[in-house]
Amino acid sequence: MKFTPRRIREEVNVSREHPLKEFFVLVLGISAAFVAAFVVLGLALDYVVPHIDPELEDHLGGVYLTFFDVDEERTAAEERLQVLLDSLAARLDEPGREYRVHIVPSGEVNAIALPGGHIVVLSGLVKGAASENELVMVLGHELGHYLERDHLQGMGRGLVLVFLSSLLLGTDNPLSNLTMALLGSAEMQFSQSQERRADEWGLELLLGEYGHAGGATTFFQRMTEKEKGKEILSLFSTHPFPRERIQAIEAEIRERGYPVRETAALDESLTLPE
Amino acid sequence: MGNFIDLIIFFCLIALGYFAGSRAERKHYRSIREREEKFLTQPAVTFGKFQGQEEVAEARLVAGSAVISVDYFKRLLAGLRALVGGRIKSYESLLDRARREAILRMKEQAAGADAVVNLRIETTSISKGSRRKNTVSTVEALAYGTALYRRSQPGHS
Repeated sequence: MKFTPRRIREEVNVSREHPLKEFFVLVLGISAAFVAAFVVLGLALDYVVPHIDPELEDHLGGVYLTFFDVDEERTAAEERLQVLLDSLAARLDEPGREYRVHIVPSGEVNAIALPGGHIVVLSGLVKGAASENELVMVLGHELGHYLERDHLQGMGRGLVLVFLSSLLLGTDNPLSNLTMALLGSAEMQFSQSQERRADEWGLELLLGEYGHAGGATTFFQRMTEKEKGKEILSLFSTHPFPRERIQAIEAEIRERGYPVRETAALDESLTLPE
Repeated sequence: MGNFIDLIIFFCLIALGYFAGSRAERKHYRSIREREEKFLTQPAVTFGKFQGQEEVAEARLVAGSAVISVDYFKRLLAGLRALVGGRIKSYESLLDRARREAILRMKEQAAGADAVVNLRIETTSISKGSRRKNTVSTVEALAYGTALYRRSQPGHS
């Protein structure tokens, strides 16, 4: 047998498809499946949430509270907020329901309605408030979430997100953080109507407490001012203060002809040290 | 904000992986084709006996190995592919390059030989503990065979 050199031109061992094409097909396909699963599980949650009994809710609340750095000892500021909250809760026709406010040190401006009636207020929010009315508006907003049972839905959706993203990408993955942020902000858009309704409750309660609507929007306005120029980042912000929300509250005040008067000064205990 | 920075880093890594990776691959294939052309007349076969080579003055073991690394983009693509199944096309070229480079290096070592017989190729993944973060996953191809010389080579006995 004689050796005859021959060129092999066909590249049989390497696929010819362009890698970018494969990349986009995979990314789009997988994201579509991801979003579909999120929507389906979300709908399932909407169905289940009204049937969660108070005992389970209390239990869940305890679990969630452990994620926050909650101090057993009550500070003067917490006591003062609790007084405001109790006075608001007394206006609701819901006997047997107890609400408890916790202030957690954090630079972020946010308040969270946890299951079991635990309202976590981040200290950044207390520091950002200029009057008692503003804090009452925030507390009323959170109480509104309880009345609409949004807190359970929000919690459930959060769980679905964590579950899906860690299932797909594993925990502690930059991609997983990204999807969380994107889906989270999409969820924020979906929940705009929930926020709007909670705002309405907040406004009602504020009016009941002080007899006027002063301080209903001033806090949100200030936060929007602060976020100015960071609009591109609002996609990732956990709790955006969209202008539409402020406008909706203002429209409501105008429509119903609510009076707007001088706001009450903050209690000394609510001026937190830096 | 932290998420935003993560996102920028992530996209930079993808872009770096894609552009640098494809550039390296193009360059490598160009070099592979050139050298394959150069060694075209150098026989390297998988069987043990080469006809007409009965008068062998010398036989020597020759080996060539090449290690090719995966890039960020290819790894991401493979990761996405691993979710849904199918051919991991992004790794095919890595293995192809590693094998061909290994054979070429082996032939370079066997320069002047009349033939390389008993050619074998082995592939090893050298990413032990790849479950841990930040381990570089790479593949090594080793090609080895027996170089046969009709005449003794100078410097060897």
